[in-house]
Amino acid sequence: MARWTPERRRKAAIKGGFGVYYAIFLVFVYGPMIAMFILSFQGRRGGTSFPMRGVSLYWWEKLIQPSTVGDLQGAMLRSLILALIVMVITALFSTMLAMAFRKRFWGSGVLFYTVMAGLMVPGILLSLGLATMLQTIGIPPAWWSSALGVHVVWTLPFGFLVMMAVFNRFDSRLEEAARDMGADEWTVFKEVTFPLILPGIVAAGLFGFTLSYDEFARTTLLAGEYNTLPLDINASMTQRVRPTLFALGTASTIFSLLMIGLFLVIYTILYRRSR
Amino acid sequence: MSDRARHPPRGLIGAAPAPPDDFVAAGPELRREGGFPVGWLIAPATLWLLIFLVLPLLSIVVFSLWNTREAAEELGFTLQYYGEYFIAEGFFDSTSRNFLSTSIFIKTLGSTLYFTLVVMALCLLVGYPIAYFLAMQVGSFKWQMALFLLCMVPFWTSYLIRAVAWLPMLGRRGLLNKMLVGLGIVDKPVGVLLYSEFGYTTALVQLYVVLCIGPIFFSLAKIDNAILEAARDMGATPFQIFREIIVPLSLPGVAIGMIFIFVMLMGEFATAVVVYGGKTSTTGTVILNYYAIANYPFAAVNALVLMLAMMIGVVIILKLVDIRKEL
Amino acid sequence: MSKRGAKTERGGKGGLSRRQFVGTGAGAVAAGALAGGFPAIVQAADPVRSIGLGVSVINEIQGQAAKDLGFPVRGQALGYGAMFGKMLNQNEQYEIAEGYFNDMDVFQPAKVWQPIDTKRIKEWDKVTNLCKTGKLTPDSREGQGDAPFRHLWLDENGDRANGPSRYVSMVPGWHNADSIGYNPEETGRKIESWAELFSEDFKGRVALLNIPQIGTMDAALAVEGMGLFTFKDKGNMTRPEIDFLIDFLITKKKEGHFRAFWETFGQSVNLMVNGEVALESMWSPAVTAIKAEGVPCVYAFPKEGMRGWHGGLAISAKASGKTLDRCYDYINWWLSGWAGAFVARQGYYMSVPENVKKHLEPAEWDFWYDGKPAATELPDPFGTIIVEKGEIRDGGSYWDRFKNIAVWNSLMDENDYLVKRWTEFLSA
Repeated sequence: MARWTPERRRKAAIKGGFGVYYAIFLVFVYGPMIAMFILSFQGRRGGTSFPMRGVSLYWWEKLIQPSTVGDLQGAMLRSLILALIVMVITALFSTMLAMAFRKRFWGSGVLFYTVMAGLMVPGILLSLGLATMLQTIGIPPAWWSSALGVHVVWTLPFGFLVMMAVFNRFDSRLEEAARDMGADEWTVFKEVTFPLILPGIVAAGLFGFTLSYDEFARTTLLAGEYNTLPLDINASMTQRVRPTLFALGTASTIFSLLMIGLFLVIYTILYRRSR
Repeated sequence: MSDRARHPPRGLIGAAPAPPDDFVAAGPELRREGGFPVGWLIAPATLWLLIFLVLPLLSIVVFSLWNTREAAEELGFTLQYYGEYFIAEGFFDSTSRNFLSTSIFIKTLGSTLYFTLVVMALCLLVGYPIAYFLAMQVGSFKWQMALFLLCMVPFWTSYLIRAVAWLPMLGRRGLLNKMLVGLGIVDKPVGVLLYSEFGYTTALVQLYVVLCIGPIFFSLAKIDNAILEAARDMGATPFQIFREIIVPLSLPGVAIGMIFIFVMLMGEFATAVVVYGGKTSTTGTVILNYYAIANYPFAAVNALVLMLAMMIGVVIILKLVDIRKEL
Repeated sequence: MSKRGAKTERGGKGGLSRRQFVGTGAGAVAAGALAGGFPAIVQAADPVRSIGLGVSVINEIQGQAAKDLGFPVRGQALGYGAMFGKMLNQNEQYEIAEGYFNDMDVFQPAKVWQPIDTKRIKEWDKVTNLCKTGKLTPDSREGQGDAPFRHLWLDENGDRANGPSRYVSMVPGWHNADSIGYNPEETGRKIESWAELFSEDFKGRVALLNIPQIGTMDAALAVEGMGLFTFKDKGNMTRPEIDFLIDFLITKKKEGHFRAFWETFGQSVNLMVNGEVALESMWSPAVTAIKAEGVPCVYAFPKEGMRGWHGGLAISAKASGKTLDRCYDYINWWLSGWAGAFVARQGYYMSVPENVKKHLEPAEWDFWYDGKPAATELPDPFGTIIVEKGEIRDGGSYWDRFKNIAVWNSLMDENDYLVKRWTEFLSA
């Protein structure tokens, strides 16, 4: 073992300092979730604030029981499916676009700012504009068609910029080398480019999933006859806000944490095996 | 996977498994001719954007010019809504109290911009060290990814729920007040935590900071250790390395993260209502208010001016940092 | 109840043709591109699709309707903004609009709903005079603003009729009157006037409704109560009147008088339950929700009168044939009492009280409608006990409440100006 040199000590101190900062940051980001987490176990007659009026699983049971206003489970399922489709399309489109943008091409400036416009156009008016168009043509809006359309418009710039960051300072000599060895474009992509940019593609997809799952304004006039989850939550706000919402928030947090745990396990196993 | 396993990468993305020795000296290289045809790469997204963005956008422009105040049957265009947006009534009338004063809509845009810039700066301050920690201090790809995702988790809970969750935290009977009273810092619960500029800014930073951590983390993770080693060998101090190498190389990530936060905050409307108790108006709320009373032309004017402001902001950010540069 | 909408000039026939024009321009270009992209799913014409707020669109209600009527009824609950936008812009997406009379200045000229033939409403005669003449009892005051009777009557083409006719815009449904809710432990006294909203005693402990059209009316009632100003018509203020009111509000806001402004039902409940405010303008079922969380809350019955609102059932202009018949069946079902009893347990009133009475226990009727002390514990529609034995509903009986409506939720002619000044108020 190396000796505890001043240099090493200094490095460890810096690392420790950052670690502490990261921990404080987590407390900050999860802070409100803690109150939410506790309150989701509110007693039957309690509400969305302290003090607790008993402890129960009542509001968690409500998560799986049919709701009175709206359709929580159905809305959640629709939002999940929609978010998954948006995730795939966002990852695909942003990768393709970013690859195209590695070269200068005619109209690239216009295309770039058109993609960016998706970030900027206020959702409620985009929704109105498209709804008007659809009405004129006579196509009914639905969450899996028109809402999907505007969701991708919204998520694409995020994924696209992430992929731009990935290709920024990208070392293309590996690709060159593969080409020199006679590989065709597909092989180059599959064997060289793709493994290198995979984490970026995952990140772009995650952005797509997250933003779509949570999108409200763009969906208002375009969801058709069935609500997505944010629309459903919004509708439920016309009534008393119940701890069910907090149970929902807590449940999705726990689910996400489990997924991360799963990721760690799978990665570790794969890593070991390949070694 | 197997490829990465054989050469556990130090950087995360786009790092060559084994950087050649002439890495630092190589310098910019001209683009190769290879790659898929551009046309095929952009066609699907372009078509998609045309249908779901460009055409609806055009109808918003038409809405904004529509003359709704003339006889209903006639089609007519007018710029009056733009006039109303920019010029307060009585602007030219020296007896009016609005004489030469800025219109409320421009003022609102101004205050929205002000909040946006403040929160952007705070997000950068809070987020950069986190990204730096993940990219530079955490050793393995596995833990980098896991710790990064850990920051993302709160983001997967519905926005509406997250905003509401601040209330039991900051409110008069909230956890934070309980803590402050318990520690004897204040003797009775204070009201300035919630429905205040403080609460609003805090909530915005919490809600949006993750958006800039991602891109900064990615660009930092790509910095190759070889460069840093080389600099160290040449006797550079840690601060010099940070200023001369790390900061410039992370700028694209910073720029992208700032663009994300900038556009999100400029369009923000829900947090102000929930956490600030509606005690301010943003351009987003103005648009909603006019949309809600079916005054679509004026909502459209507000939206277009907002878009223009965002576009200018994004162009400025991109002029400062060229994110398209490859090696 | 929240309300938003725009004045006639904006929604007129021009409004619709305008939208159609915009749509045609962009739509024509897109048509080709879209034709292949979207599977054109033709909606089955059979189910009656109803949209509205969570006040009336509740799974139990539509479910019971489907059971009683023998055809599918599907409800879609939305938030106010989403509901309003959908009702106005997408009337092919629903058959029944569970709307509100104060929005009629937008919906009537836009002709998105069809006139309803009262000959097909079986129990039309039993509907009270509240909406027909504006006088629930002979000695009632009509109330300023968009009182339902001013928006009810149409001719067969859907244009406004002067006075009673065969056709109506909406069949009157659930309604209520709003005022101030307060925590008696915090105020230390009984609140009997709107003026208390601006009392110095409650500085920093007051919340106001952040919907410009209604918030201003609550403020106007308060300012009148203080004797500062008299409005000619609080339901349709002039620019100088709006200016006076907003300037006053801005002064108050700068003094730090307001704790917050709320937009949704849930927010108003949270403000009181979390101890943030002592009193606030409030919708009446919120009181029940607050008490259910163990926080004392009283609904004021101000001497100036309350602010009323009225919902109802409208039929989309697109409904026809068999679907239209079913729409009428659904509306008739709403009037027949079961649904009225359901919403009564949430504190709302229904336009045919005698039918509601048949579906309520006597103790329930006495408490909710007659303003008598509860003879037993009473449940909400889902079976949770929300009223203790002996409790009295604030505001007296239904008839007492609704004969003293000061103003109805309204859309003013100067609505655009109002929203602009309201923006200034919030930014101040």
